[in-house]
Amino acid sequence: MKPGTVARLALAGSRTDGVRVALTAFSVVLAALAILSALTVIAIPELGAYENNGRYRNALLDEPGLRGGTVFTLLLLTIPILALAGQCSRLGAPARDRRLAGLRLAGATPGQATLVAVAETGVAAVLGVAAGLGVFFAARPLLDGPGSDGLRALPTDVLPPLWQVAVTAVALPLVAALAAALLLRRVVVGPLGVVRRARRNRAPLPWPGALIVLGLVTFGSIAPVLRWFSDRERSAPDWLLNTMGAGGALAATLGVILGTGWISYAAGRLLHRFSRWPSALLAARRLTNDPWHGARTFAALLACVFVGAGAAEMRSFFRIMRDLETASAEGANYGLDSGDGFYLNTIDLVDLAIVVAVVIAATGLVVSVGEGIVSRRQAYAALVASGVPRAVLARSILWHSLVPIVPSVVLALVVGTSLIAPVTGDEVSNYGLSAPFVHAYDSLAAYGALAVGAVIVTVGVGLLFLRSSTAVEELRTG
Amino acid sequence: MTILRARSVVKSYGPTPALRLVDLAVAEGEILAITGPSGCGKSTLLHCLAGILRPDAGEITYGEHQIDTWSEKMRSRLRRTEFGVLFQFGQLVAELTAAENVALPLLLAGTGRREARTAAVGWLDRLGVADVADVRPGEMSGGQQQRCAAARALVTEPRVLFADEPTGALDSRTSEALLGELVRLAHEQRTTVLLVTHDAQVAAYADREVALRDGLVDPTGLGLTAAQGRHGR
Repeated sequence: MKPGTVARLALAGSRTDGVRVALTAFSVVLAALAILSALTVIAIPELGAYENNGRYRNALLDEPGLRGGTVFTLLLLTIPILALAGQCSRLGAPARDRRLAGLRLAGATPGQATLVAVAETGVAAVLGVAAGLGVFFAARPLLDGPGSDGLRALPTDVLPPLWQVAVTAVALPLVAALAAALLLRRVVVGPLGVVRRARRNRAPLPWPGALIVLGLVTFGSIAPVLRWFSDRERSAPDWLLNTMGAGGALAATLGVILGTGWISYAAGRLLHRFSRWPSALLAARRLTNDPWHGARTFAALLACVFVGAGAAEMRSFFRIMRDLETASAEGANYGLDSGDGFYLNTIDLVDLAIVVAVVIAATGLVVSVGEGIVSRRQAYAALVASGVPRAVLARSILWHSLVPIVPSVVLALVVGTSLIAPVTGDEVSNYGLSAPFVHAYDSLAAYGALAVGAVIVTVGVGLLFLRSSTAVEELRTG
Repeated sequence: MTILRARSVVKSYGPTPALRLVDLAVAEGEILAITGPSGCGKSTLLHCLAGILRPDAGEITYGEHQIDTWSEKMRSRLRRTEFGVLFQFGQLVAELTAAENVALPLLLAGTGRREARTAAVGWLDRLGVADVADVRPGEMSGGQQQRCAAARALVTEPRVLFADEPTGALDSRTSEALLGELVRLAHEQRTTVLLVTHDAQVAAYADREVALRDGLVDPTGLGLTAAQGRHGR
């Protein structure tokens, strides 16, 4: 097949396919902007480890110690963006599968059908990268304007090296196309339809709990390892500490996300056992039938809650440190508020990133809820036609989202807090003073409420699809 | 005695007229086939009679009640309690077992789970598919799925059953078996059946046939069974 034919066939779908392409392109725009912004911050010239540039109003850009965190946070934002892209790829999948089967019936080989599907994502990603580059370069002169103090709000006076921009422009569509090919690995496109290779039909087991324990133990072992090296008057190698820190946090995050599969299954069984309402029965069966739906859908949101819980506890720790510092004789004499104020600024940055990430994750949830309704529209339309109130269906969708997310959010908060517990300890000491560590219950509750609230709002928005998807016209299509 | 009546019913989809002044009366216990070519308005008429669609003009009366003026909520309740509906495609909830799908209308009416399941399994048994009670739709054949859907439509023992091309996706042997069961059960229960079809063999199961053409009742009265000869029962 010629590339032009592949591109034509890839973009020859219905309106839903158009929406999927547009949303995929939109998520790639966001990813491109996040990566280009991170590269721009990296491109700010280093004057020295402790020397500010004196060019930017914002300390996050001006202080060399904070720039690494800014870059890391911008790159972290790509996680919910990728989750959004993953949700978008599922939108209208049954209609796309029928289209691919039609191509097979017309003589396309299985590889050609897969190529068309992969090309759709690739073309969308190319459009997204082009739009992202356009927005990035168009916004620079518009946002560039030093104030009366000569300081800029953003690093609009530096550009990342051209090769880095080129690598981003090529890598993003390639990664998107590879991800699409990966998602299609279980799909066999035949002339008479699409078959999905059966997954293991076993109920999820609570083994992600082991991953959580492993993560907590690994992260918690950093302090004993440091002591071990200190006792021998040696310093611990950075690679070991970084591996233990990042590896432990990653294992715990994965444990929380994968644990949602087991939570969904267990909650679905309990709901099925004890509920008396048809809406709960519908939700319970959906939960036990596809328990991994929650893990896929809520992954980005739970990662945000997990990081947020750790950040909230660290904020409380640094606050106590600062209070002890200012209360101490030395602090009072010298007006010290340098170190811990610096860390509190970093936590502010993490908080901001989490709010942005929750908004992006919520967009993915809307797509997921909408897709769940649209893919069941015939069965829902038949139920409504036979007298089932739409409110029952709406409640079942709400049950389906809330039943796994509430315990999963609690788990993410507990694990995030536990991960940081070895760092904070029960007592905080600074400048010869000590005070008991106070958990940031208010912030933890706020993060929990933010996550559950985001789910409720997104379900509400997703339910806008319910009326149109249960219209009588849906009964006429085969 | 007339149980359902359409008087001068008009219904359009945008600028396209689907029904143009249709009059129809259905007697209690009757099995009526509504036939006609594709796009003649037979499904639209069925949906109007079942209260799924509201006509643009005209009246739909069920017993002594003019139901087209009722709210969506009241018409939903009517469909849930007095009517049963059966379609061609995708009616079962994929995640529920056959017994749970059939029990759903009873659960909505407030019946206890154990009682609803017993009734559901009983109806699956009457339709010859009790063996798939704990099986999900995806693991059933098309005929088994349609029998489950029929069981769900009948489980509330409706006074009127609306069936829109109920055998359209089935092979002829499975169609005959399902229709035979439906007609037998309808006669046993004194259920009125409205059957939309473009298949003469299906229409032959009805007591009477009304043919539609271009949104109007065909005045010649020559339906599929008249054209092809009555057979099947």
